[in-house]
Amino acid sequence: MKRIFVPLLLSLLLVSSLLWAATGPTQQIQQIVDTVLQVLNRTDLDYAAKRREVSGLVQTHINVQSISQRTLAVHWKKATPQQRERFSKLFVQVLEATYLNRIEDYSGGRVDYLNERVKGDKAIVDTQFVSDKVEIPVQYKMVREQGIWQIYDVVIENVSLVRNYRSSYGQIVSSEGFDGLFARLESKLAEPPVAGKKQ
Amino acid sequence: MRVVLPLVLCLTLLVLSFAPLLAADDFVRPAAAAQTGGDDFDAEFDDDFDDDFDDDFDDDFDDESEAQPRPLIADPLEPWNRGVFLVNDKLYFYLFKPVARGYRVVPRPVRTSIGNFFSNLSTPVRAVNALLQLKVRDVGTELGRLAVNSTIGWGGLFDPAGYSLRWKKKSEDFGQTLGFYGVKSGWYLVLPIFGPSSVRDGAGLVVDQFLDPLLYADIKVREYYSLRALERVNALSLDADSYEKFKRDALDPYLFIRAAYAQHRLANIRK
Repeated sequence: MKRIFVPLLLSLLLVSSLLWAATGPTQQIQQIVDTVLQVLNRTDLDYAAKRREVSGLVQTHINVQSISQRTLAVHWKKATPQQRERFSKLFVQVLEATYLNRIEDYSGGRVDYLNERVKGDKAIVDTQFVSDKVEIPVQYKMVREQGIWQIYDVVIENVSLVRNYRSSYGQIVSSEGFDGLFARLESKLAEPPVAGKKQ
Repeated sequence: MRVVLPLVLCLTLLVLSFAPLLAADDFVRPAAAAQTGGDDFDAEFDDDFDDDFDDDFDDDFDDESEAQPRPLIADPLEPWNRGVFLVNDKLYFYLFKPVARGYRVVPRPVRTSIGNFFSNLSTPVRAVNALLQLKVRDVGTELGRLAVNSTIGWGGLFDPAGYSLRWKKKSEDFGQTLGFYGVKSGWYLVLPIFGPSSVRDGAGLVVDQFLDPLLYADIKVREYYSLRALERVNALSLDADSYEKFKRDALDPYLFIRAAYAQHRLANIRK
């Protein structure tokens, strides 16, 4: 039994990773969005439970190295490996917290996939979030690493998140150094999460 | 009387907008940088795909200006701006937010209609500025919207042009018109009550006031400003506390909102 189990598991892993590798950028975004929306649309879960379900999910689809590097830009070059690692770790958590705080805003809606442009290992996927109240263009910038498309920037209504973070974090590093930035990131993470709307 | 205040503001801003030219050396670099910072929007606009990626790449890794990443907008008045930002923040939490909250007893459809009404009133701003930028199609859309919404849409209370005909309004203002003709944003300015702006866009705001039909309506000064206040509170009541969310998520809300403003304006001008 044990003898069969390991090869079986391995082949399953192989098959799933091949399937994974075959997904294009739009499909990849679609997968993420569908998974998240599925959780958010569930009526049996309260806000906190939805938060738990979604947490960690998005992290796996972000190219942490790329997004951190792009955010710090010139400061990345000057940073020591330890500083880079520490920043990446904190930054991803802050990104996730920001994302999770947005869950409470969701009250139905769908995502339209408008366009996909691929050039080598980079891709831009244009989507639009549509609800009865708003239409928000959301663009995902992606990079392919080891066959997997990962997000390195999200442009919402023409405002690039990375650009925004770069501009504000850049000024913080310039005036307060990396330690100042780390301290601010840590205190942001220490804040309690949003309680969510009363159901 | 109603014209005096905007006029004074306009003159002040015009003077301010020339001030940078005098201090040219200090000013030109960041402004130029802010401009090139928008390369990938340009590229996107031209649908020049390669540039988009490459620029993004250059932007991130091959930036030669060692000391600072490119600022999205020059902000030599930062200490002053931060002061106004703080005042606006307090105004928001202690005045506008409570008022807007109370005002939410008005049913949402009614508030949406009030918003539509004011939006319809501001058609001249969008139409004239589209015209100034020779965007003939957008002028047509605006005039069509005005005709349809003012009649079938019950004097602008409803937006059948947007919902049924899919004629969507597009944000246009004099700041964008100036930007369209190559006028740089100039320094970042946080205006009391109005919030993020720039020398260019602040001046634009004042010019746009003259395209406001209410200014020429036969109403008292107090009524005019009450209507303006109603417009703001109504808009705020429909907004999902986005300011608070920005503020909560950002390490430094002032910096985050400044960057978002700069990007947003660049994108609007290029559309």
